[in-house]
Amino acid sequence: MSDVLVFFLHGLAYAGLLFLVSSGLTLVFGMMNVLNFAHAALYMLGAYFSFTILHATGQFWLSLIICPIALFVIGACVERFLLRRVHVFGHLHELLLTFGLAYIITEAVKWLWGNYPLAVNISGYLNGTVEIFGLAYPIYRIFIFVWGVLVSLAMAAILFKTRLGVILRAAVNDNEMVNALGINVPRLFTGVFAFGAALSGFAGVIAGPLLSTYPGMAQEILVDAFVVIVVGGFGSLGGALIASLLIGELQSFGVLLFPKLSLVLIYLLMSIVLVIKPSGLFGEKQ
Amino acid sequence: MTRKSTLSFVLIFVVGVLLPLVLRRYQLNMLTEIIIFALYAVSYNILLGYAGLLSFGHAMFFGLGAFITAISILHISHLSFWICLLIAVGTTTLVGVAIGSLLLRLKGAYFALLTLAFNSLFYAVATKWHSVTGGDDGLSIKRPVVNLGFTLLKINTVTAFYYLAFIIIGIVIVFCWYFTHTAMGQTVILMRENEDRMKFLGYDTSLSRLILFTFTGAIAGLAGVFYTLHFQFVSVSAISLDMATTVLLITFVGGTGTFWGPILGAFVYIILQNYLSDITDRWPVFMGLIFILMVLFIPGGLSKMILSAKDRLGGKREGSEVMEGENA
Repeated sequence: MSDVLVFFLHGLAYAGLLFLVSSGLTLVFGMMNVLNFAHAALYMLGAYFSFTILHATGQFWLSLIICPIALFVIGACVERFLLRRVHVFGHLHELLLTFGLAYIITEAVKWLWGNYPLAVNISGYLNGTVEIFGLAYPIYRIFIFVWGVLVSLAMAAILFKTRLGVILRAAVNDNEMVNALGINVPRLFTGVFAFGAALSGFAGVIAGPLLSTYPGMAQEILVDAFVVIVVGGFGSLGGALIASLLIGELQSFGVLLFPKLSLVLIYLLMSIVLVIKPSGLFGEKQ
Repeated sequence: MTRKSTLSFVLIFVVGVLLPLVLRRYQLNMLTEIIIFALYAVSYNILLGYAGLLSFGHAMFFGLGAFITAISILHISHLSFWICLLIAVGTTTLVGVAIGSLLLRLKGAYFALLTLAFNSLFYAVATKWHSVTGGDDGLSIKRPVVNLGFTLLKINTVTAFYYLAFIIIGIVIVFCWYFTHTAMGQTVILMRENEDRMKFLGYDTSLSRLILFTFTGAIAGLAGVFYTLHFQFVSVSAISLDMATTVLLITFVGGTGTFWGPILGAFVYIILQNYLSDITDRWPVFMGLIFILMVLFIPGGLSKMILSAKDRLGGKREGSEVMEGENA
């Protein structure tokens, strides 16, 4: 019984992380129709920045603030100076550009930090355990899940309660019309892309102490995040939330129940969803 | 076939046959590698350049062909080279039909994403299924003897293997070229331009796309066969995402606008890789930079650049083709 609880909580923690990564990805995709292959590379960059900051100062909260800001700036520059240039050539080129960026970032990380895992240690109360139903469970994993919940609530509040949210939702539907109504859509794109980058950088900082920091971490989470988007439905935040929980738990219980098949399980789920509903669980348009 | 293209085929054939006389051993080895990757890229270009389908999963066919070759050589004693080819190409064809009918339900970025996910699935299976694929250790093989009907050809020397690869791959590439000029190949191009119109004209566009996807998969599988035979070794890197993105790099550098672009891309990529990796361990960074610069400034690739340079040197101006058409 306690095993089941532990794996359930593990699943929640991974779901929290997955949501932080895939929500930014799906938001950018919904708005700009750009599948950002560099998204996970930015997440990795966040993790490595955090490693360096922790190494220098030992302040986890500091890196939790600085890294997203740094990634926001990087994201804004990428959108403004690179993506916008190739926008006229069509989606294929935008996709190829983000792919090239991911490639360069991964290689640059290997160059600068080395092609081996780096352990990130945190001290203080985050490193402790908490008692749940008589079970000592690491606080840090709960901390991740809480952040996932907080971010999803904040995003829902922005999207459905503010004027900005109204504009964003309108731009997802028809950005030319929004542009015609006098709203600066290019600037909106830059903002959304930078926000997505900041979110993935944030996720990277949080992932550091849980998973180790290594050059393959981007590709690993990228595929999982893509599966989340496919299963949840392209561009749907609610879908990303549900699918993150689904995939997180599936990953976790997969390791417990079918250790040999655990890697294949999520692809199996994805294939089933595709056969039944190609647009994903909550996707409307194809 | 026009007179000009027949002439260039003959010229390439003669040069290819004579090259082993002048090249050194390691250069010939590199040339063989180039030819193999050229076939891989040509198959990928039919998917990307002709049909407009961006795939991040072409390595699943390449790797499958490579692994099937190694596994069948190891498990079937005295396996004939031709049977080995048949098994590998047959398997990749069947897998192509199965995967294609699942993935081609989606288009554009969705399709790209799914190919990536499926390639990861293949990679995961290859890594985990240690007893068959050798996992991270890989599989080592010996090249089989080729029965030419009248004589047995041993392909364990660099030169003999080069000739085998050059002739078989050459024939297959010519066949690919022919394929793009058939009604089927032209249908695919028209579908890319305006799918609805093709549907109204009565074409079954999803069937055409499935046939094309399967065809390119089988060709990539064939390239995988030669990959295994060339290195006499195969590991999970053959089916990895890196291998899938390598072919994208090659094709894009060469240019997707022409048939021969990817072949040029294979030459440039393999030579550049060999050259860069001699002077720096960080060559992937430079490859990435070259790629981004090309996406930004030369979206048509090298072949497009050469064509426009040729136009300029020939004294033609842009739009000259249209004018010629009017005069004719």
